[in-house]
Amino acid sequence: MRAVQIVLCAALGVLVLAFPGLVNAYWLSVAILAIFYAIVTASWALLVGYAGQFSFGHMAFVSLGAYTSGLLVKWFDIPIPLGMLAGVVLCAIVGSGVGFVGLRMRGPYLALFTVAFSEVLRIIFVSEVEITGGSGGLEVAPLFHTRSDAPYYYVGLVLLAGSLAAMVALVSSRWGLFFRAIRENEAAAAAAGVKVVRFRVLAFAIASSFAGLAGGFYGHFLGILTPDIGSVDQMGLVVAMAVIGGAESLPAAVIGALALEALVEALRSYGEWRLVVFGALLLLTIRFARNGLLALAWEQLARVVPVVPAPRKTA
Amino acid sequence: MTDYILIQALNGLVIGIIYAVIAAGLTVIFSILRIVNFAHGEVYMMGGYFAYFAISLLGIPPMAGVVFAMAASFALSVLIERTLLTPLYSPTTERKGDYGILVTFGISIFLRNIALIVFGPYPLRPPSFLTGALILGPLIMTWDRVFDAGAAIAMLVFLLWFMHRTAWGEALNAVSQSRESAAIVGINDQLFYMLAFGLGGALAGGAGALVGPIYSLSPSMGLIPDTQAFAIVILGGMGSVMGSILAGLMIGVSESMFVALFPDPSRSLTYAQAFSLLVLMVVLLVRPTGFFGRIHTALD
Repeated sequence: MRAVQIVLCAALGVLVLAFPGLVNAYWLSVAILAIFYAIVTASWALLVGYAGQFSFGHMAFVSLGAYTSGLLVKWFDIPIPLGMLAGVVLCAIVGSGVGFVGLRMRGPYLALFTVAFSEVLRIIFVSEVEITGGSGGLEVAPLFHTRSDAPYYYVGLVLLAGSLAAMVALVSSRWGLFFRAIRENEAAAAAAGVKVVRFRVLAFAIASSFAGLAGGFYGHFLGILTPDIGSVDQMGLVVAMAVIGGAESLPAAVIGALALEALVEALRSYGEWRLVVFGALLLLTIRFARNGLLALAWEQLARVVPVVPAPRKTA
Repeated sequence: MTDYILIQALNGLVIGIIYAVIAAGLTVIFSILRIVNFAHGEVYMMGGYFAYFAISLLGIPPMAGVVFAMAASFALSVLIERTLLTPLYSPTTERKGDYGILVTFGISIFLRNIALIVFGPYPLRPPSFLTGALILGPLIMTWDRVFDAGAAIAMLVFLLWFMHRTAWGEALNAVSQSRESAAIVGINDQLFYMLAFGLGGALAGGAGALVGPIYSLSPSMGLIPDTQAFAIVILGGMGSVMGSILAGLMIGVSESMFVALFPDPSRSLTYAQAFSLLVLMVVLLVRPTGFFGRIHTALD
């Protein structure tokens, strides 16, 4: 059994590493965008699924990270990795700020607050045309000047693997336990000695930093940024990815993001129908399979194929 | 200049009354179902389109179109409630608050994008209710706005009468105070969840039909009024219809003053949208229970 698992993992690893050589340029860029969404979705799942803090402002942090890096590189000519780092740091600071003021709010109030925060930020990016280029977009320096997008793919892969490893390590540590304790019952967690204030703020800061990192990568890959990246519909796409995959498990959220981004491109010819399809899929998943489709599929698979280990309870 | 500001203030009052209708719908839903309905702005948008198509396809006169829009929004809301919200009442559902947020957020994405396909991205303008303008000395106001204000006041008076002077309203109030006690005295709570969500939707849809001739209709028109309604509901206190009316007028007037007095006119319109969002953020920070909140409707 174990040997089969190792062989499967190794085959998957080779496939992932050889991917740029196997597909055309179009699907390679799709894969890079999928990696971007995977980082965003996983960090949203960390904040919402594990720490239980409902934020609809996650894409705002993506745009904040992306614009920070893009603008710093454009106006001050600093190296791109430094710009991305600045984006991450700013997102961590603003994220702790939002997390801190959000301490007074529960569930839907926090969700409302973050929607408002995200729209205000988007309106600022739209209105300050002299600095951000407004709705017309901001041209951002590319990270690489190669003909192929393969370097972006590998950098993205490293970022995704690094972020995911860090997040998994976090949620399986004592801190992860604190996050879940706060999610289940804040008063009980506080009574048991969990520093609720510190860990609620921390969860927000950490998740926002990953969003900022993904945003910087996104901006320097696409070469153009519009305020639309922080729109409510983009947030809806990320929510759909996380919930359809399974918001209470980081790997499930990542797989949800990769699968949905592939679906986005496969449905490209249907244009506007895509968000309708995802909205409907999101509603059906929440209504009938709250742990996500992946957990559901895994359960069925474990019943049929004995090689697959039985699903672990993550929540 | 003072005339301009006076006219802006009057316009703000009219818009404020319409905001109050949207917010009153939101607060009725909140006080019975205990969810913050993120799809409320999309029902408002649908109401506008219901009226538009009732007028242009069925040949219904514009004023009757408002009633049609309210009925259609009521039906749409009841459909949503029966298909997607019933897990909220089931004891086996874990973390109902999260479910309510996610499902209504999903509904809003779905409705907005299906409207984009069915109705198209271009603004549509339904015909005026009444043409011409009312002129009182230096003050000018289109008859559309006068009609809107009158119709919105009528809706609010009806709502207050319904909530406080009828057995159905009393039953709604009973369910909002305690589901269990209401069930003990023989109130069928399922019926009243349906009624509350439908009533809230009808108010949003009616408001959407009213603003159509003033602002035109577009699939994304619900986004901003939605946050404005949230700001109003929280300012006025969750569950308080009177509070929503007062806060709606406050927000409407202060917002149009903001537009009138903003130093940079080229940005005043985009930042006017941010204004209500900032109000919402400040209210959430400073006084999350609002001014007229009732203890039993506080959200934990």
